[in-house]
Amino acid sequence: MAPEKIDITINDKKVTVLEDSMLIKAVIGAGIALPTLCYHKDLTPNGTCRLCVCEIEIKGKKRLVTACNYPVRQEMTVWTSSERVQKHRKLLAQMYLGRWPNVPVIQDVARRCGVTDGAAFASDLTDPNPKACILCGHCVKACDEFIQERILDFAGRGILRHLTMPFGESDPHCIGCTSCAHVCPTGAIQIIDDTNHPVDPDMIRRHGMKVNAEMATLDKNQCCMREVGTANIVEVMDRYDLLPVHNYKFGQHPDTYKVDSQVLRKKYFTQNNPDACWFGCSMSCAKAVDGFELKTGPYKGHRVTVDGPEYETVGACTNMGCFDPDFIVEFNFYCDTYGIDIISAGTGMAFVMECFEAGVITTADTGGLELRFGACDEVLECIHQMSRGEGFGVEVGQGVRQLKEKWIREGRGDAQFIRDIGMEVKGLEYSEYVPKESLAQQAGYAMAVKGPQHDEAWLIFMDMVNNQIPSFEDKAEALYYFPLWRTWFGLHGLCKIVWNDVAPADNKKYAPQQAAKIPEHVDNYFKFFEGMTGEKLDEEKMLAQSARVHNLQRLMSVLFGFGTRAEDTPPYRSLGPVTEEEYLSRAERYDGQLRSVLGLDPEKMTLDEKRATLRTHRESQYQKVMDAAYARRGWSQNGIPTKARLRELGIDLPELLALAAD
Amino acid sequence: MIRVNNLHDIPWREGLTVQDVLDHLKYSYALITVTLGDELVEPERYADTSVPDGCAMTVFHLAHGG
Repeated sequence: MAPEKIDITINDKKVTVLEDSMLIKAVIGAGIALPTLCYHKDLTPNGTCRLCVCEIEIKGKKRLVTACNYPVRQEMTVWTSSERVQKHRKLLAQMYLGRWPNVPVIQDVARRCGVTDGAAFASDLTDPNPKACILCGHCVKACDEFIQERILDFAGRGILRHLTMPFGESDPHCIGCTSCAHVCPTGAIQIIDDTNHPVDPDMIRRHGMKVNAEMATLDKNQCCMREVGTANIVEVMDRYDLLPVHNYKFGQHPDTYKVDSQVLRKKYFTQNNPDACWFGCSMSCAKAVDGFELKTGPYKGHRVTVDGPEYETVGACTNMGCFDPDFIVEFNFYCDTYGIDIISAGTGMAFVMECFEAGVITTADTGGLELRFGACDEVLECIHQMSRGEGFGVEVGQGVRQLKEKWIREGRGDAQFIRDIGMEVKGLEYSEYVPKESLAQQAGYAMAVKGPQHDEAWLIFMDMVNNQIPSFEDKAEALYYFPLWRTWFGLHGLCKIVWNDVAPADNKKYAPQQAAKIPEHVDNYFKFFEGMTGEKLDEEKMLAQSARVHNLQRLMSVLFGFGTRAEDTPPYRSLGPVTEEEYLSRAERYDGQLRSVLGLDPEKMTLDEKRATLRTHRESQYQKVMDAAYARRGWSQNGIPTKARLRELGIDLPELLALAAD
Repeated sequence: MIRVNNLHDIPWREGLTVQDVLDHLKYSYALITVTLGDELVEPERYADTSVPDGCAMTVFHLAHGG
């Protein structure tokens, strides 16, 4: 429940604030500066320095409180510089100045408290170093809260209190993120080496610290990446009818609650630390399960550590109709151990299961395995066979495209049905989102150079939910910008996650088209690039950098026989309902579209007529979106980059021109 | 009647709030921005902000994941 807004009085002025927010925020919000040494807006306050004291009165009772960690309450009256407050601060400032007389932040704070001489408190502890550690604790909290490490901490009590690493030794767990140095107000912690010698390390650090602060302060109310990683969207996708179930027939299932992120958090995830996939990353979205006892396979009975599960792992399993979290973790482990891609394995098995249920294949083909949806044990057995190069597992391991072609060649069942439900494009299996209701996502998947992986363009929310790219031109623009933006991450070895898995609190100030790009985070990446290379970057330059590579990749795809319109055309399951069961499960939606989009009366149509009409419409829409996207990308209507586009990008090498369209 | 994201028509009733509309559409996503006409509605006001009849409401979902 959102906190209530309440009125309090600060220095005789009424201000409105959120109940339970910290008093210092209300004071700063009222335009009043408080002296402080230990407060940092992005770190948890603990009232160490006590300089921010204010006098408050609630129900006739007056007292001094530290503003940084005192929550505001109804009917609170606050004085920020009463006589009592000033006396308290002055005494503290004298003590600080007596101990650290030459540290600039101490001198500044003392001046603001009306103190210029700390001689009365000079002692053996007095440290004349202008860069002395003042025990503010910023570094300790930054290490803990930004990076979730505890490399630095205080040791000793009273006058012996000091900052240290464990046992006074250099800690090998320190990843050198430099957060501690960045927040140190005195320079007591300094960076003496910048690996890779960036042109402007401070620029990189400043923008990296913005991400750290967002992770520490915003993530817990946004995507909870630190807590559950990408699995946070299992329940989101289910709610929006986007979680693949039974080979993408459906987008949600009543049993999703058994495998959602809260189940993983409560019962499985034991590791929650950065796994160094991106050095110094404060998001640390990688999760792991420790001590998991395997029930099958060559390691049966062993207790193992499992890297995951992520969203796609869970989605791959719901797609097979498997809603047992133990199975998900075991499937995750064995796919990783055998070097099998989890997405391809899940989507491939889901296709096999639908074919089994439809009678395309039988137990005579599967070696006796009853591969129905939800058959967890049989899936694991099939994976073990795949790894050993035995039995039906070998056949499944060839992938959906080979299975489709083989079973059609052998005359098993309805060839069109097999083509429609085999969820692959360019020989790659689909990743785990249901794209049926988003034309832009259908194209985002099928037009991706490598095949239907969502990391070129994930446009479902922009298109299906927000309706912010309604025209073909709008969709084409999104299919131009986002694949290039995402290609740019790969070009520079940068992770995409901190672009849009946390958002600045004020991102909503932008209009939706801009907000979807998260401009402040795009700028972070541009600054990382500039700080490293010294070259300024903007959207136009970024797109040009990516377009050269993206077009080159497409030409490679042409060379290998995949980069054409035919290979950008998805199976119909990606565009709409293949089976009667599927249509009927969302009859209200589909009937509504026949009525509102095509002006037909579904009451007067048979189910077959409705399915056929919807299919014709959706397939024609898809052709139109391809036309628009090709035109925007400077590709021919067969999906091949044109010679003119290669010249424009400066990649008009003879070998490439030979592959390009006129 | 109110229209959401120029996509969904929802019957209007006296006292209809932003939260009611979000519940009706099952919009429970963390990263959403709601506007009524040109007016931004903060999350803490969803439950007590009335939606006027005939209003154009937008619920912008910022994509994450993917």
